[in-house]
Amino acid sequence: MLRFDRRLLLNFDWVLIVAVFVVALIGLANIYSSTHLYTKVGTPLYLRELTYYLMGAAVALLIVSIDYRVLLTLNYPLYIAMILLLLFALVFGKTIGGAQRWIDLGFFRLQPSEPAKLVLVITLASYYYRKETGKGFTLLDLVVPALLTGLPFLLIAKQPDLGTGLLLGFIFASMTLFVKLRWTTLATLLCVGLSAIPIAWKFFLKPYQRQRVETFLNPENDPLGTGYHIIQSKIAVGSGLIFGKGFMQGTQGQLDFLPERHTDFAFSVWAEEWGFMGSVVLLLCYFFMILWGLNIAISARDKFGVLLAFGVVSLIFWQAFINLAMVMGLLPVVGVPLPLISYGGSSLLTNLAGLGLLMNIRMRRYMGTS
Amino acid sequence: MTPRPLTKINKIDPAELKMLKKRIDIAMALIIFAAALLLTRLWYLQIYRGDNFAKLSEINRIRIQEIAAPRGNILDRNGQPIITNRPRFNVVWNREDAPNPDAVIKDLARILNEDISVLLDRIRAGTENPRYMPTRLKEDIDWETLAAIENKHLSLPGVRIEVMPSRDYLYGDFASHFVGYLGEISPAELTQSRYAKHQSGDQVGKQGVEKIFEEYLKGEKGRNYLEVDVHGFEQRQMQLQDPYPGNDLQLTLDIELQRAAEEAMADKAGAVVVMEVNTGNLLVMCSTPPLHLQEFVGGISTTAWNKLLNNPLNPLLNKTIQGQYPPGSTFKIVTALAAISEGVITPEASFFCGGSLNFGNRRYGCWKKGGHGTVDFQRALIESCDVYFYSVGMRLGVDNIAKYATSLGLGKKTGIELEHEKGGIIPSTAWKQQRYKQKWQDGETLSVAIGQGYVLTTPLQVCRMTAAVVNGGTLYRPQIVHSITAPDGKILKTFAPTSEGKILGSAHSLALIKEALVGVVNSPGGTAKSVKLPDVLIGGKTGTAQVVGLSHVEGMSEKNIPYKYRDHAWFTSFAPAEKPEIAVTVLVEHGQHGGSAAGPVARAVYKRYFELKSGISGTASEPPPLAKDEKEE
Repeated sequence: MLRFDRRLLLNFDWVLIVAVFVVALIGLANIYSSTHLYTKVGTPLYLRELTYYLMGAAVALLIVSIDYRVLLTLNYPLYIAMILLLLFALVFGKTIGGAQRWIDLGFFRLQPSEPAKLVLVITLASYYYRKETGKGFTLLDLVVPALLTGLPFLLIAKQPDLGTGLLLGFIFASMTLFVKLRWTTLATLLCVGLSAIPIAWKFFLKPYQRQRVETFLNPENDPLGTGYHIIQSKIAVGSGLIFGKGFMQGTQGQLDFLPERHTDFAFSVWAEEWGFMGSVVLLLCYFFMILWGLNIAISARDKFGVLLAFGVVSLIFWQAFINLAMVMGLLPVVGVPLPLISYGGSSLLTNLAGLGLLMNIRMRRYMGTS
Repeated sequence: MTPRPLTKINKIDPAELKMLKKRIDIAMALIIFAAALLLTRLWYLQIYRGDNFAKLSEINRIRIQEIAAPRGNILDRNGQPIITNRPRFNVVWNREDAPNPDAVIKDLARILNEDISVLLDRIRAGTENPRYMPTRLKEDIDWETLAAIENKHLSLPGVRIEVMPSRDYLYGDFASHFVGYLGEISPAELTQSRYAKHQSGDQVGKQGVEKIFEEYLKGEKGRNYLEVDVHGFEQRQMQLQDPYPGNDLQLTLDIELQRAAEEAMADKAGAVVVMEVNTGNLLVMCSTPPLHLQEFVGGISTTAWNKLLNNPLNPLLNKTIQGQYPPGSTFKIVTALAAISEGVITPEASFFCGGSLNFGNRRYGCWKKGGHGTVDFQRALIESCDVYFYSVGMRLGVDNIAKYATSLGLGKKTGIELEHEKGGIIPSTAWKQQRYKQKWQDGETLSVAIGQGYVLTTPLQVCRMTAAVVNGGTLYRPQIVHSITAPDGKILKTFAPTSEGKILGSAHSLALIKEALVGVVNSPGGTAKSVKLPDVLIGGKTGTAQVVGLSHVEGMSEKNIPYKYRDHAWFTSFAPAEKPEIAVTVLVEHGQHGGSAAGPVARAVYKRYFELKSGISGTASEPPPLAKDEKEE
């Protein structure tokens, strides 16, 4: 199993490494800028983030050294562990900002909903790999994967963390569509899904969640309340103009007008300080990284590799898109971090693990197939 | 489910690989589309609408704090400061800095000598303001309190001292009606165009020259551009624009003379006006009782204001320009000028005064019940014979008198640059017709001839008339400001004497009147001999203005007449007689006799004036005691 081939090193994906490295540098610099004023006690946040990066790199290295196909054996143990963690968080978890999301490990506060995203990707990839597609999935074929997704979704939505919950839904939808659905199945799902929206609105969403959506549709109605985040974020991004206000010179971020400026709204800080130019550079690096991930998927040696890589890419893409659209005022405020840029250990470790999987698949693309 | 062994790897069959590739291509297209969407949004926010958001971010972070400008100084005609500025210290409460307010407030209440509940109420009232905004606990504390707070500074977290400029009245209530006071600008004033540059909360002149010259005195406010965080707390100073002080106002008033007049009037209600006869500059504008300017600093209390309103001595009235009194015998100057100029009498012509004159079916008495005997023009003025002027008045007719009175500036506003000046009344046949729709009665002319009846004048009018009579016949506009000087020393504006033309009356008649007026002070039988100074020849005219009809006071001895029924006392005068420089007019409300009540005030002013001129400074000596036979009118 731990057969370490020299070919592995030859197939090392330098492009992916460089892309991740550039984005990581930007993320660290940005966290330094947005938090240097406010860390008065303890380790500065950028140093903590750097520690998470190193931890994440170690995790990724471990993942790279083991053939990804081991996940076909580990998928259900991982899934069960994830469900237990989520239950544990729900029952014993730390409440921060009104949501029970955290498990205190002493040296580290784990947010189990973050690794849950990646575990779902692994679970679905394993499931779809084993399932014969044939002419495409019927509605009945979707029951098991839907249940596999639905259980963590409910546990996470209950915290409540609607953003992460929805993200699971997006991952499920992306991967399922990728595998192949029957047209009839797709049409039925669309009809059911659309008609479910009003019901969900009425019975499923919590008042603060409904308010967020309403605020998004008309932020100026409530400029000091829930509309505040959107307005301040748009001001931060817009006032960056072409070249930005300069590193650590952003007034919106530095003067605290921007909420959650090192986590969910980290990109606003970047856009304010580096302007359109800096934002374009970051977006290009970012999307290059994502597209490169798809390239890895298509070059995988087996279908499991393709599905797994595609799942990881959809995980990163959806987080990035939802977060960026949110800080630019295109989507309601939902707590989805920007991978590698937003501060947070759980998110960073999860995403680096995912990128480790991509590297794993890439490095083994010529192996064991001959 | 049993996983396949790891070593067995199924290569993807080409058909499926093709299909997956196709889907990956679709995914790539979608992702590129998403990226394009985000980039377009960025372009929209940062470039297309960027300026708008940049402006919003500026507004977000910059707070402009205004710094009050020191008002211009008010100086006397020699450049001596009368009103300047001093720092005013307020105790403010900054709740952000106070973790344990209760103990601090207890300490503070002791130092400020205030009730704890009062302070707590003020703090509570301030909780509605943003947290960064300090609450004012006590205004204008004295040096001792300030020192006490500064000493205990460390044990009083949350307590801070705020400094702002405030008026410093170097001479107390000096010329208080004239200089006026400050107050917070009212909502009504804010709508007026003259206050276009003001903002609510500003201190503005409410009365007197402080109000009239507000525009020059106010200066330019400074601005402190502060960068603030989302809670409004200062992060750093971006830019400081220092305030620019207001311009200095050099008045025509003379500190020494004004003080001499105020001292002499200390126990009297009335007015003193001193004018330079050849310029119209006012050296003294004194109205008593004075306003206590200190009461107005920071807003006058309702109790103090009601006390002012209900005071029978009427301290709110600026009696120099708003007090309207019958001029009494001082008006004989007008009648005399009209009579000689119109030729209805000659100076030599004599009349007999037997103590009264019968006209129509009424008896018109002279103030001297025994009569003056035979009097010519000179004696009539010197002894102020009423019967003589009744006869002259009858010959002139009221309209002739009115014509001269008007040309001497009576019965209309003088145009002094102060608000709420009163014009007084000079009656005529046309005036009565218009006012009462009635025909003029000849008997009324007799009253007018001696300055009674409908005639009303202000002390300023009488003073200006006196100046015009003795300066060769030029009526000047009263001037109150000498010049306005910018803080850098540049003179912005000077006020040259403004002539309003020549008065009616021949030079000959003016000379005759002047001579007679010198006699009033200096010749035996004159009604104002008490005013006489050893080295300077003063001329003048006394006057007594009846407040009520004689019936109210008939048979009472002077001491028994109630204050409010007592006659007003006038004295209007000039000096030196040879070449007049100043005219001094004194009105003492209910002072009864011009010579005895008003005369000494004028004398004190002259004494000071000529002492200053000859370089002697010292206090005026007491006026000589009155001799019995000097009681007049």
